[in-house]
Amino acid sequence: MRKSPCYERSAMGLRSFIHSLTAPPFRHRNTVDQEVKMVLVVNNNLKMGKGKIAAQAGHAAVSSTLKCGKEAPDILESWLASGQKKICVKGNDADHLLQLEKLASDKGILCTKIHDAGHTQIPSGSLTVLALGPDGESLLSSITGELKLL
Amino acid sequence: MVLIARKDLRLSAGKLAVQCAHAATSCALAANKSEKRLLERWKNSGARKICLQVEDLPSLQRLAGQAQSANLITHIVKDAGHTEIPPGTITVLGIGPGPRRSIDALVQDLKPY
Repeated sequence: MRKSPCYERSAMGLRSFIHSLTAPPFRHRNTVDQEVKMVLVVNNNLKMGKGKIAAQAGHAAVSSTLKCGKEAPDILESWLASGQKKICVKGNDADHLLQLEKLASDKGILCTKIHDAGHTQIPSGSLTVLALGPDGESLLSSITGELKLL
Repeated sequence: MVLIARKDLRLSAGKLAVQCAHAATSCALAANKSEKRLLERWKNSGARKICLQVEDLPSLQRLAGQAQSANLITHIVKDAGHTEIPPGTITVLGIGPGPRRSIDALVQDLKPY
């Protein structure tokens, strides 16, 4: 919980002071004051080829970028300006990805799931990649910090 | 959309995925500015993407030139070089989204990565 300085607190009415302590954080914060990046969690259980993984990661990145452009354009801008940082990590299986998604969406991080159409390599509808962000680095690493790089 | 990666760099799976994701987002954002209708059509038809390989840098650049002269959206990804490879290395070329026929004409001889 953010501490507001005393002078600000005294200027504020009692009700709004209590509200500032109990209100839920903004679902989509519009700015982040730290490094912004995107994490792509790949379902490692599916044994996809390298090219397949790359294409799926591309899907995830594009759709979360477009989504972020609608919901939090300022975050998107700072992400683009700082070189579109992305990292790619391994998730154990589809259930693991869903768990991570739940954790992340509870914290208000933008999540995008990619299900494959199944034209090649894997059964249709498999969950291949989960994209988290773009969002602040420390927020993301609280969720995916443990995972290994792909 | 096609994503064309250099085989001679021998990138790891994760690195390759990230580079391709760079190319894909940049191409999509470019399309979002200049050819909104095309982007919508591409998204509605499943945002099709294929990852192909070329042998080396000159063939990648040749393809980039051809794609530009065919008026397709192109984006060349240069890596910042924080990991694995030296900074400024050209890794992936993204072409599209664009009409299937004109992209196929350029890349029909390439192998999937």
